[in-house]
Amino acid sequence: MCTAHYHLPPSFRPCAAQRNRLGTFRNYICKWVQCGDPEVEKKIEEKIEQFIGWVEKHPNKKSQICLSFYEVKNKHGSWFSKQIEQLHWEHWYINLNVAQQPKVQSVKSHNSKVVDTGENNLEDRSIRRAALEASLRDVLFQIIRFVNDKKEHVPPIPNREGVISFPYEIILPSSSDSAFGMDMIKRMLQTGHPTMLS
Amino acid sequence: MASSHSDSAKMEQIITEFFAKSLHIILESRSPCISSRNFSGEHIVSSPSSSSSSSSSVRPRDKWFNLALRECPEALENLDFWHQSNLEPMVVDVVLVKRVINWDPANFYPKAELFRNLSSKEVYSNCWNSDQEELGNGRSEKIIERWIVQYEARKAKDAGKGSKRSSSNVLSSIYKKSILLLRSLYLTVRLLPAYKIFRDLNLTGQIRSFSLAHRVSSFVEPFTRREEAEMQRFGFAPVDTSSGRLCLSVLYRSSLSDVSSEASTPMSPQLIPDYVGSPLADPLKRFPSLPVSRGSPSSLPFSRRHSWSFDHYRASPPSMTFSPSPTHSEPYASASNPSSSRFPPPGLPPHPPEVSHAHKYNANFDEYYPSPTFSPSPSPSPPIYVPGSRLSGALLRSESAPINIHATKFLNSPTFFKNQNLPPSPPLKGTRYGPSMADKSMYPSRDSATVDKMSFVGRDDIGRPSGLKIPSESSANISYSRSSCRSFPDDFDESEYTCAFDVDEDDVTDPGSRADLFDKRRHVHDPLQSGSFMPIRKSQGAAVGALVDMLKKAPPLHQDVSNLATASQASGSETWSNTFHEYCQTPKSISAQDGTSSVASSAFLASKTTADALEELKGYKEMKNLLLSQGGTSRSRSVTNHAAAVESADEGTVKF
Repeated sequence: MCTAHYHLPPSFRPCAAQRNRLGTFRNYICKWVQCGDPEVEKKIEEKIEQFIGWVEKHPNKKSQICLSFYEVKNKHGSWFSKQIEQLHWEHWYINLNVAQQPKVQSVKSHNSKVVDTGENNLEDRSIRRAALEASLRDVLFQIIRFVNDKKEHVPPIPNREGVISFPYEIILPSSSDSAFGMDMIKRMLQTGHPTMLS
Repeated sequence: MASSHSDSAKMEQIITEFFAKSLHIILESRSPCISSRNFSGEHIVSSPSSSSSSSSSVRPRDKWFNLALRECPEALENLDFWHQSNLEPMVVDVVLVKRVINWDPANFYPKAELFRNLSSKEVYSNCWNSDQEELGNGRSEKIIERWIVQYEARKAKDAGKGSKRSSSNVLSSIYKKSILLLRSLYLTVRLLPAYKIFRDLNLTGQIRSFSLAHRVSSFVEPFTRREEAEMQRFGFAPVDTSSGRLCLSVLYRSSLSDVSSEASTPMSPQLIPDYVGSPLADPLKRFPSLPVSRGSPSSLPFSRRHSWSFDHYRASPPSMTFSPSPTHSEPYASASNPSSSRFPPPGLPPHPPEVSHAHKYNANFDEYYPSPTFSPSPSPSPPIYVPGSRLSGALLRSESAPINIHATKFLNSPTFFKNQNLPPSPPLKGTRYGPSMADKSMYPSRDSATVDKMSFVGRDDIGRPSGLKIPSESSANISYSRSSCRSFPDDFDESEYTCAFDVDEDDVTDPGSRADLFDKRRHVHDPLQSGSFMPIRKSQGAAVGALVDMLKKAPPLHQDVSNLATASQASGSETWSNTFHEYCQTPKSISAQDGTSSVASSAFLASKTTADALEELKGYKEMKNLLLSQGGTSRSRSVTNHAAAVESADEGTVKF
């Protein structure tokens, strides 16, 4: 089993007037806020599953998840009749490095050894878990600071129905790096000038 | 201008609602009482509708900042009373309340009524919504979070900088930023450590010794440097407006480990499996703690003050007698009459003037047997129980242990009896056995010490004495006390063992005669005439301890008498025999004076057979007669009784 260092930025941006709820990502102790929209949660869960699959295929490989918020604008192009332009106004890049835990080797020699190994694993796991929880909380606080520091670029919140105020997309690393790069190129062609947040 | 006026009004309204919303967000996740009514694990899935639609499901206030929250009426009920001006900061302190004692589960949650009942002025100054006043002592409070929401008005000269932009755009921008800020706040309150406490209080439902309270005020006492050093600050980016900026910050304690550990182990009623009970409820339970040790006779349980014991640590007035028995305390009480100034002093028993060297016995007594505590007692219950020593327990229980021990001591030494300090009462008995006996009643430790040495030779495993030979004189004394010592084990020869303080009513003499006895003995030991009974108590205690020791060390009762004789000569009897010899040294001289020399030669009780015991008894009879001849008429009664007891003892069997 591997514990994924995975989290999503709080989806409070697109949330409309609704009761936010708290969600708990699996294997995590930290709480994060969800919009409460089942469709959004379902889409997020699917992306997580895809990412986990990719990590299992590419162990010990750095990965990156991109969460982008965009505006939909109708672009009237000369060549195309109508084109829906996605104007991304915010990108969140989440760099992940999934650490795979060493498998517990079965010791057949003596019971005490097995117990010792188990105890050590549990202790190490709890230590790692505590460290992970602390680092994750720090990251979330950092996200809050980012959100609060930069507000001017955020488009006006539309007063429309639904939970999500702004469209978004989650880009996962593809099976190959080249494919991931192609996805980025395609996005750049579509959006034109993607807004990158450092 | 009207638009500007309306814009400023709208701005004011935005700021006002911002304060309310921020307070609502904070209290929603910090007040267990408030949130418990609507708390459902915070997994409330609301209808995915915006504020514009389905307004029935969204309260009017929820429409503000596009953030619908759970109901929090208590927190916002008096918000209007408090918030009189947007220019005043709003400080929300989240307090961790720990209750040590007087913890009332009914008042576990802070009551909103207290908050509601506060006047506007009180709310304005310092709003409490905790039931602090209702809790008892042992309550500790700690501010774990301090939220500060304020609107910093910009100076007038700087107010026109943002006026170039359209007011609508400004307002929309302010409103948008406020939305983001409040949502950041919503996330932050759930990331801080205090939220975990809030969830534990709400979800577990277990009885906790702590709770969360909050107070809203405009002015608070700033933290000390030490407190501030323990806290961390997180500040949100302010929202700039045309006339100022909205600021939001929090000071929080990053470490609440002490509370978190307590949260995992809530208070719960537990059964105490080995509850012993309060010593006040059962004073007798102090017995096991009393030093009933063999090797430390000085640490006898007599040190404990009980109903019939003397007070070791204060000079006992003469009124304090050594009669443990309420039934028999009368004669002693008379002797212990404070008016009786001639009451013999405690400590070493005063020797009769004719026995100038009788003090040696006393010294020996003190040396070997610390005096136990002896005092008049209304309670007949034995204050001291020596485990493993039925004899001693019985002796004590019979309230005549010292005298009893005294009696046994004088098995072979009528003169010894004579020279010992016998208890003053019964005076007749005491006089019967001479001054020693009379003094013994007062200083039973002496006799008890000797008796310890003498009487428990050849004891069996259970501590029953064997082969105990009691001379006539001692038997007389023993018989005197025997009547109250029925609880003695059967192994004891009742004829030989009597409780020294077992006073028969017939033996009670008038205090006057008793006082005469006391006079003759008191002056012997000047240091003891200080009026302190401490030596007596010490000797008594030592005697009992020595008795116990002897009982434990005594060889089994089942041994052959002959073997017992040799064994006693070889080991066990040596100690007490030596002591007895020491004690008998004076009796030798006394016997010489009295003309009886047979007593001193019969020192080894354990080795004696029945015939020997009878012979000793006869010897003691002779001594008795001598004493009688020397004594006055007042002693004759007690002597007679004792003689009768002795005769009965002759008829009895001596058990080994």
